[in-house]
Amino acid sequence: MTPAPVLHANPGGSVYIPSPARVLRVTRLTEMEKLFELAFLDERPLGHDPGQFVQASALGYGECPISICSSPTQRDRFELCIRRVGRVTNQLHQLAPGAVIGIRGPLGHGFDMHEFHGRDVLVVAGGLGLAPLRSLIQYIVDERARFGQFHLLYGARCPSELLFQEDLVRWRQNPDVNLLITVDRPDEQWRGRNGVVTTLFKDLPKLDPANTNVVIVGPPVMFKFVVLEVLARRIPQSSIYCSLERHMKCGIGKCGHCQANHVYVCMDGPVFKYGELKAMREAME
Amino acid sequence: MLDRMLNHADLIEMLDDLARKRRLVGPVRRGERFLYEEVTDPRQLDLLFTYCVFGPRSYLFPPVETLFTFESENGAFRAKPMLDARPLALIGVHPCDLHAIALLDHVFGHEHADEHYLTRRRHTFIVGMDCGRPCTEGVFCADMGCHDTESGFDLMLHLLGEKANGHARYGVRFGTPEGRQWVLYGRRSEVPTLDDERAFDRAQREKAAAFSRRIKTPAEELPALLDRSYDSLLWEATARRCYSCGSCNLSCPTCYCFNILDDLSLDGSQGTRRREWDGCQIKSFATVAGPHNFRPKAASRLRHRIYRKAKWIREKTGLPGCVGCARCDRACTAKINSVEIYNQLAEEV
Repeated sequence: MTPAPVLHANPGGSVYIPSPARVLRVTRLTEMEKLFELAFLDERPLGHDPGQFVQASALGYGECPISICSSPTQRDRFELCIRRVGRVTNQLHQLAPGAVIGIRGPLGHGFDMHEFHGRDVLVVAGGLGLAPLRSLIQYIVDERARFGQFHLLYGARCPSELLFQEDLVRWRQNPDVNLLITVDRPDEQWRGRNGVVTTLFKDLPKLDPANTNVVIVGPPVMFKFVVLEVLARRIPQSSIYCSLERHMKCGIGKCGHCQANHVYVCMDGPVFKYGELKAMREAME
Repeated sequence: MLDRMLNHADLIEMLDDLARKRRLVGPVRRGERFLYEEVTDPRQLDLLFTYCVFGPRSYLFPPVETLFTFESENGAFRAKPMLDARPLALIGVHPCDLHAIALLDHVFGHEHADEHYLTRRRHTFIVGMDCGRPCTEGVFCADMGCHDTESGFDLMLHLLGEKANGHARYGVRFGTPEGRQWVLYGRRSEVPTLDDERAFDRAQREKAAAFSRRIKTPAEELPALLDRSYDSLLWEATARRCYSCGSCNLSCPTCYCFNILDDLSLDGSQGTRRREWDGCQIKSFATVAGPHNFRPKAASRLRHRIYRKAKWIREKTGLPGCVGCARCDRACTAKINSVEIYNQLAEEV
């Protein structure tokens, strides 16, 4: 036959078929977001790196990319924070414990934790950006001795949109975590800081540029301003990481939907170093 | 060097045999145009076709394809992949389209191999048809290095001598053992004579001269040209005419972007997940939840397509992302012309 493509996968199978996973617990986080705790029916661990994502299916409704928000140190189950925004996520929001959904993954490249071990870490999250970062944060908290100082800056639009409030309380009580929170639009009960996330930088101790990794995830508009603050503190560009959002359809570098300039976010990312992003104008525009 | 010679009548007899084992797809005349269609009788094919409106990609990567079916089962689901292993023969594929298939092979065969494409591909036999001259005005296949090919076919036919379909005589080159086997077991071919070899050499020389170069920048320098052109006003200026209709994507033999969609039975107990061709020129293509569109302007979408075709795919795969068939230019409702874009960009730097 005509020179056949080199094959090394799954003859007779399909890379598009999801594995069934059971919903163990559903927690309402905000008006828009729910946290799903899941386990594969065949009990295998998801085996992910912080920052990776899965394709979550409500079969018959579709599939969408969701970042994994639990720590890889938790092996018998995993968690997804799902915002109700479209057909698939609306359907997933209807599900109760016991239901079975489809999961493909883990997909993409997450954070290479070897690059973080032994270093100070500054995590800056805006809005839903805390979800993909939660696996990293939990990993750092679980493996705290492997890291230096740990600062976590989190900004949300308003107090009711703060995600993972139980975690926030726990992290705040943890003396090894320096957590600062701000909201753009405080309500009457809010006693914390207000303003955009960059206002938190003034409350940070001096960072050690040679020994600090910075991770930024949030809406595109936030990114530039945070990078500016970070660069002003002389953090090298090679120590700045971020995770991009795109609507991956296949998740495996074929369908073209997530392409940002020359990269496929699903395969080359979603985690990128700032240095790589500079060549990707669409990443920030 | 030629491997064998075949006359048209013998080729048809052999295709008759082939049609008993495989679906036969090749160029069929429809009015003024040619289309790749499935035929039951090889006499329905017109192997002296100029070009087919669409390339043969839809037979390897269908416009709509079921990836798997599923049914609910005790609260869980069972999914069954749909793989099409029906033997297929593509007859009369020009070098440009062979280059396009080579790209699809790479994309679907590389990392996370796509069995849906590959199953079909493994069961496909390809009879190439060399084009001795540009198939129509406006093609720039030679600029892209795609008017010729040494591989990607089971056998390649070179029309030598008589032009009328009935009397045509073809020089045959083998591309694979299967192609060789098919011709030799057909017992109708002849050993090329010295005259045949001379005719082949002459045809090859004439072919080399027949394809003009239309793009001022060599294909391997297009990535560098585009690197300098990201902020050119030309994108905006050209896109003023663009309707974002996606005709260029639809007609392109190397476009492989797709969407994935589900269908569900009325009672919700079973359904299918399918994929459909999608195109980067469609406005919603780069939209995410929110909704935020990462390429909201026609200019950014047009630029994205040209970058993909002439730069990113080449850099990523080492293969041409555009084969110069000019189907996009002919299909464009606004007469946007890729050659013109490249040449205008070249003027700027």
